[in-house]
Amino acid sequence: MTGTTGITLTGRPGAGAARPVKAPPLRPQNRQLAVLAVLLLVAVPLPLVLPPAQGAVAVRILIFALMAVGWNVMSGFGGMFSFGHAAFFGLGAYTSAYLLVEHNVSPWIGMLAGMAVAAAVAVVIGYFAFRYRLQGAYFALATFAFAEMLRLIVTTTEFTNKAVGFTVPLIRGSSLWKIQFAADSPAYFWIALGLAGLAALVSILFLHSRTGRYVTAIRDDEPAAASLGTPVMRYKLMTVALSAAITAVAGAFYTQYYLFVNPDLAFGSSVSIQAIATVVIGGIGTIWGPIVGAIILGSLSDVTATLLRTPPGFLDFLQGRSGLDVAVYAVLLILIVRLLPKGIVGTIAARWRR
Amino acid sequence: MSARKLAAGLGACAVLLAAAGCGGSAPSGAAGVAAGRDEGPVKIGALHPVSGANAVDGQQMRRGAQLAVDAINAKGGIRSLGGRKVELETGDTQGKAEVGQSEAQRLISAGAVGLVGTYQSAVSTNVAVVAERNRVPFVMDVTASDAIFSNGYEYSFRVQPGSAAIAGAAARYLKEVSQQAGKPVKKVAFLHEQTDFGSGAAEAFTAAAEKLGVEVGPNISYDALTVSDLTAQITQVKASGADVLAVAGYYRDSLLAAKAIAAVKPRLNAVWGVSNGAYDQPKFVTDGGALGERYFSTNYHFDAKNQQTAGLRAGYQRRYGAPMRTGAVLAYDAVQVIAQGVERAGGTDAEKVRDAIASSKVEPRTVGTGPIAFAPNGDNKNALPVLMQVQNGQVKQVYPAEKAESKPNYSVTWRS
Amino acid sequence: MSNSGTKTEPPPAPAVRRGPLARLSPGDGTGALLKRAAATGGLVAVAIAIALIKSGSGLVVWQSVVTGLLMGGLYGLIAMGLTLIFGVLDIVNFAHGALLAIAMFIAFGVVQGTGLHPYLTLLVAVPALFLIGAVVHRGLLSGTGGASLENQLLITLGLSLLLENGLLMFFGAEPKNVALPGDFQFSLFGAVVSGARLYAFLGAIAIGALLFWLLRRTRFGTAIRAVAANGPGAELVGVNVRRVHTLTFAIGTACAGAAAVLAAPLVTVTPTLGEQFNITAFVVVVLGGMGNVAGALVGGLLIGLVEQLTTIYMDGQSSLLGVFAVFLIVLFLRPQGLFGRRS
Repeated sequence: MTGTTGITLTGRPGAGAARPVKAPPLRPQNRQLAVLAVLLLVAVPLPLVLPPAQGAVAVRILIFALMAVGWNVMSGFGGMFSFGHAAFFGLGAYTSAYLLVEHNVSPWIGMLAGMAVAAAVAVVIGYFAFRYRLQGAYFALATFAFAEMLRLIVTTTEFTNKAVGFTVPLIRGSSLWKIQFAADSPAYFWIALGLAGLAALVSILFLHSRTGRYVTAIRDDEPAAASLGTPVMRYKLMTVALSAAITAVAGAFYTQYYLFVNPDLAFGSSVSIQAIATVVIGGIGTIWGPIVGAIILGSLSDVTATLLRTPPGFLDFLQGRSGLDVAVYAVLLILIVRLLPKGIVGTIAARWRR
Repeated sequence: MSARKLAAGLGACAVLLAAAGCGGSAPSGAAGVAAGRDEGPVKIGALHPVSGANAVDGQQMRRGAQLAVDAINAKGGIRSLGGRKVELETGDTQGKAEVGQSEAQRLISAGAVGLVGTYQSAVSTNVAVVAERNRVPFVMDVTASDAIFSNGYEYSFRVQPGSAAIAGAAARYLKEVSQQAGKPVKKVAFLHEQTDFGSGAAEAFTAAAEKLGVEVGPNISYDALTVSDLTAQITQVKASGADVLAVAGYYRDSLLAAKAIAAVKPRLNAVWGVSNGAYDQPKFVTDGGALGERYFSTNYHFDAKNQQTAGLRAGYQRRYGAPMRTGAVLAYDAVQVIAQGVERAGGTDAEKVRDAIASSKVEPRTVGTGPIAFAPNGDNKNALPVLMQVQNGQVKQVYPAEKAESKPNYSVTWRS
Repeated sequence: MSNSGTKTEPPPAPAVRRGPLARLSPGDGTGALLKRAAATGGLVAVAIAIALIKSGSGLVVWQSVVTGLLMGGLYGLIAMGLTLIFGVLDIVNFAHGALLAIAMFIAFGVVQGTGLHPYLTLLVAVPALFLIGAVVHRGLLSGTGGASLENQLLITLGLSLLLENGLLMFFGAEPKNVALPGDFQFSLFGAVVSGARLYAFLGAIAIGALLFWLLRRTRFGTAIRAVAANGPGAELVGVNVRRVHTLTFAIGTACAGAAAVLAAPLVTVTPTLGEQFNITAFVVVVLGGMGNVAGALVGGLLIGLVEQLTTIYMDGQSSLLGVFAVFLIVLFLRPQGLFGRRS
């Protein structure tokens, strides 16, 4: 059912990477890496320019981007539509929070541990789902059920502090080892940028790797790939594990940035929806779609909230109406999906090729 | 895809991005101008869930805070600062912890000397972290969870009695009221929702009750978000032979429990709300009708015996056309705490305001044993939970005696 | 149903799409079906016996079973609409719960405004939801934009956000109640049954029967089944597939309307109340087999039981945990549902 709809062919250039006419064409991989490098360079000085309130939005965008890149690896490149990425986000968040709060382990190590736990759980879920050949909506609902079960279990388990969750202990001063800085420090942005850049790098390299090629081949025609002797299960599981690990990084960093995590924040279905919405708006199965989607969704709620707090004259009557900002968000979401079913990057790329 | 559609879609995106550009600049501009706390009005930040599932309470509390600001300004502002006016900066948490956090950061950037809020424990936990890191006092109006006050935070304060304090009082009142009625309590069944709020109340109640020699059991929990019927649970209570049923839940599920109790009619002497989200609300009396008659509830409450509280609530009713709830009165108190802190500190330096709040004595509009004064961990040591009962369709304070509007009637309607 | 423009007999079975979607109702050997029903019944009996041992009180378990079945009827009714949409259009409709909430607010508004008996609001809520469903399908879900799974998911999710927050804006977050005049309760061998719950249960079964009749015994139902089994094929023999899709979607949402009116006196009406039913309804749909109306009803009853028994088995756990566990087991072992046919 997921099949190939809405997914651009892989290996094609993303938006803005025009093919030079005279110079020998770069391999797509190198071109994408070059774009990534430029993007990162442009982003680095941002926190020094942006006012503090926007700094927080920028960090949120990067967290969205991390989640989205993770989701895209599995569901975009791999064609396995996950509706339960909250499970991996939450495992990353809870593993690092637990290790830090209970055992005073550095969140960097906690992050690695979270990646491992999330990847392991993803492989288990994936194994069962693939073993029983769940596809499309069934696969999505199964991942959703897994994430919800994790949420319910964490909510009632003593070991994870039940519904209270974990509060990261505050330290005096800053520490890179503990990932804790002054509230408006640009260090948060740079760390998030580094992590998101790394995730994007991994996703580019993955797409062009042997595994990546096999996985997209399996996505496009599983029976054909299987009949050629491709170990379908192994490649799918590798993809799922990688996707979960990247998403876990987002969870671990989220905990460090917001200094607090509870079952709903970590495992709630809104987390899964967030990951999906970001990528679908940006362009599913594209390299840059998750990034574009994160920029839009990450700033969207802030924009509507700001607009409604101090509305321009003609919108005055809206002030103080509760629920309006979410309604606006919903309308824009529907509009973008309706009008650009391949997402922004996917649509632009499709136009470009014609 | 047609070119028209593409253009329209890209247009939608462009509008978004343009909005991101201009809308995004608004708070930053404001921050730049107002970050200096030394000029213009003294700003107090109010963070409440004015949209989302708890919007009604959130709006009530925001208005309560606004009434406090208006009252202060009507009396001539902050006198020690030459009559500087007070201004309320409002934020909407949407009931979400992460939104609460970014809104708190925004209010602080806008120059708030202190924050009040937030109605929900998870949101308050997040905001307390922001306040602590920015060294801005945070006075909680409604926040049940006690966990926040075990972190050693210096900038967190709370006006309402905490969850454990209410549960402990509920157990004590139960023992005393039942003895005075000549039907001493023997066994309490406890029905509670399963998160921190309900199970915390159950644990604290059980500990306190067992100290008083009262048996507690069975302990029945449910998921407040999904529960659609509590008949089986109440049947379990009936089968257990308990003579009192204690209930700690939110509004919707507590109403379900009341319906199930009316259906099953267990052999009880009393239904006993503990921090209950319904049983002391006038709305519960309206919705439940005869169901809720004679239900008890131990909770924080506006001081119904206090003339000034009555005046405040009458003013609210006039201005907003709705009865003022306890949460709004607590928000009023919390704003007063900050304003008087500024008054006594004689400046807007957050450190000094914090110290002034820590040693403050503010006359509350909610029930207390004395002025609002904070223990070293930030909890209001004079907060007093009060026992209420629905009597003839009215929520009355009934115990302890000095706060009582009428006498407790220790019985249930279906077994008189 | 002449307006469906079809002149077909039941379509030939060659399924273009494999899997359980190809059939709208149990059609395989009656023997196998009976066997499966017996196995399911046996499992339920064992589960109840274990609950008896665990709780030690016959009354509590009996009350749980009665409560579970009564609630389950309602779940079944909600899921019927969803399963139609799921089975015929392949749409995972996440707005079903929000549409349910809309219908409840319609019922509430009408009762408030006119003082009508709550059940009479069926006359308003069902047609209104039918229209809303048709508009939603035509406006949002048909055509290329609504083609892929992820886009449908996001559109319906966006729609549910929009509807819920629209309700919040117009009605506020204050919980509402719809009182049933003359509600009563009686004791069924010791278990308490309230009139409102019994009516909802009976109403669910009646509407289920109506829907079953519509699908099996009318030309329009035949067209729906034809489209579900083989869309292009149905198109070839003259069925207006797009219209059938829209009408099916509208009937599905109208079911939600009916369920909402029946459930309104049982719940506290809030804009977000649909969410809790939506998840359960999805589980019921998979349990009963996609597109299988009778299966949805049986699945609903089972899930109602599972919910109640979970609270006996696992003290302090959410009833949803048991529901999801059953869901995953069914998904893995019988993805076509308990009463669907393996492809």
